[in-house]
Amino acid sequence: MEGIPLNLNYKVPIKGYEKFWESLKEGQVWGTSCTKCGEKYFPPQLHCSKCGASTTWFKVSEEGELLTYSIVKAKPQGFEGYEDYTIALVRTKEVDLMCWLSGEPRVGAQVRIGADGRRVTCLIK
Amino acid sequence: MTRVAVVGVGTSKFGKRDDASVRELAWEAISEAMIDAGITQSDVKLAVVGSTAYRGVELYPAPPVAEYSGLVGKTPMRVEAACATGSAALFSAYNAVKAGTADVVLAVGFDKMTEVDTASSLAVGGRGGNYTWEFQMFGTTFPTYYALYATRHMAEYGTKEEDMALAAVKAHKYASMNEKAHLRNRVTVEDVLKSRVISWPIKLLDSSPISDGASAAVVVSEEVARKLKVEPVWVQGIGYSSDTSSISRRGEWTSLRAAREAAAEAYRKSGVTPHDLEYATVHDCFTIAEIMAYEDLGLVERGKGGTLLREGQTERGAKTAVNLFGGLKAKGHPLGATGLAMVYEVVKQLREEAGIVQQQFRNYVALTHNVGGTGHYAYVSVFRR
Repeated sequence: MEGIPLNLNYKVPIKGYEKFWESLKEGQVWGTSCTKCGEKYFPPQLHCSKCGASTTWFKVSEEGELLTYSIVKAKPQGFEGYEDYTIALVRTKEVDLMCWLSGEPRVGAQVRIGADGRRVTCLIK
Repeated sequence: MTRVAVVGVGTSKFGKRDDASVRELAWEAISEAMIDAGITQSDVKLAVVGSTAYRGVELYPAPPVAEYSGLVGKTPMRVEAACATGSAALFSAYNAVKAGTADVVLAVGFDKMTEVDTASSLAVGGRGGNYTWEFQMFGTTFPTYYALYATRHMAEYGTKEEDMALAAVKAHKYASMNEKAHLRNRVTVEDVLKSRVISWPIKLLDSSPISDGASAAVVVSEEVARKLKVEPVWVQGIGYSSDTSSISRRGEWTSLRAAREAAAEAYRKSGVTPHDLEYATVHDCFTIAEIMAYEDLGLVERGKGGTLLREGQTERGAKTAVNLFGGLKAKGHPLGATGLAMVYEVVKQLREEAGIVQQQFRNYVALTHNVGGTGHYAYVSVFRR
């Protein structure tokens, strides 16, 4: 028999992280660094995992190297309407991060990092 | 402190089990394990229930399973460690016996994964890393996570899609001999390479199926083990570790750090080395995972996992046989059941009750390697008869 559907409608808190989400709209990616020990964090976090001090924001460099990638064909709920997308991990001089990649992917390729308003993106140079 | 033994094991048929709710499914495994051990519910002091539960209608499955199985009053919690949930249940049972909290503990793991549609299932799995910083922005899926490792392994070590396909060929071959396995068809390298791309380079036939199933083990103290008629299989040591939720924070994508650390700890606690292993079950949720498991367990050096497959060095009769019941890849991977299905497999093998896939033992040393998420959790356990 049919089960009763369970609809889970979420609200996700972004307090303290407004800088990150707003910067995406300007095509920028920001991480945080510890005010005491200097450890850099991406994804950003408000407290340092190592020394417990608070963190401050820094802008992640736009230059990076492609570390690995996957082309997503079978998409999850919430992404059904998208064309196939490529998820990549890239290394900048400060942090490693995940992004949606455009261009012909090749491990080791140089990429330019930006944002499309909703997520981190990178483009093969 | 007491030694800890497994004296009974049971496992349901794995597959799309729309003939059973989670209650009947768990009972298949529980009843077999109790009969195997020669005990009844009244002997059980504690039952540890493992289930991820997010893909079935029973989101809090411990009470209905306990009620159905006659274990009411003995199930104070449910444990969860994603795909390593079964090992988390074993670990909890082991610790309870070791600490003297309970001398007869039933560990049961199960999941009904096919009660939701595939898109919902992918959405649950895609949250297996970090929701806000990965799934929300990028639409990660669980295959994507392992695909990121596969791509890097290919780039760094020259591993080929054909090498990964060999893991699937092997898994299906042995699953075809296992009447409880989910996928019992044989496949060829070409079948795997031509199968639908899910998250490149992972294709449908590189992936374990979405399965329903349950497995259970009766875990007891040495004193209890000596009184029972069944030959005990001793838990020599359980190693565990975990890793970052964000896949981008790992710093390496060719090996699972948590699995390496869990293996090192299991070897240290049990006093065995990779060289001593005669049998292993490894967490081959995707074919690349089997290759990395060989390396993470120290069966072969980093980057050479594919060689073991090409040379048939993990087949039945090899020095260390791996996954002769068909692996997650073809036997099936009902998340909560998997770790205990591995225990079922090594116990059957060590007791020489594995029928046509029986490995020959000289020293009776076997291991389970169970990974949760994409190396978010790892348990490696060593067993001896």
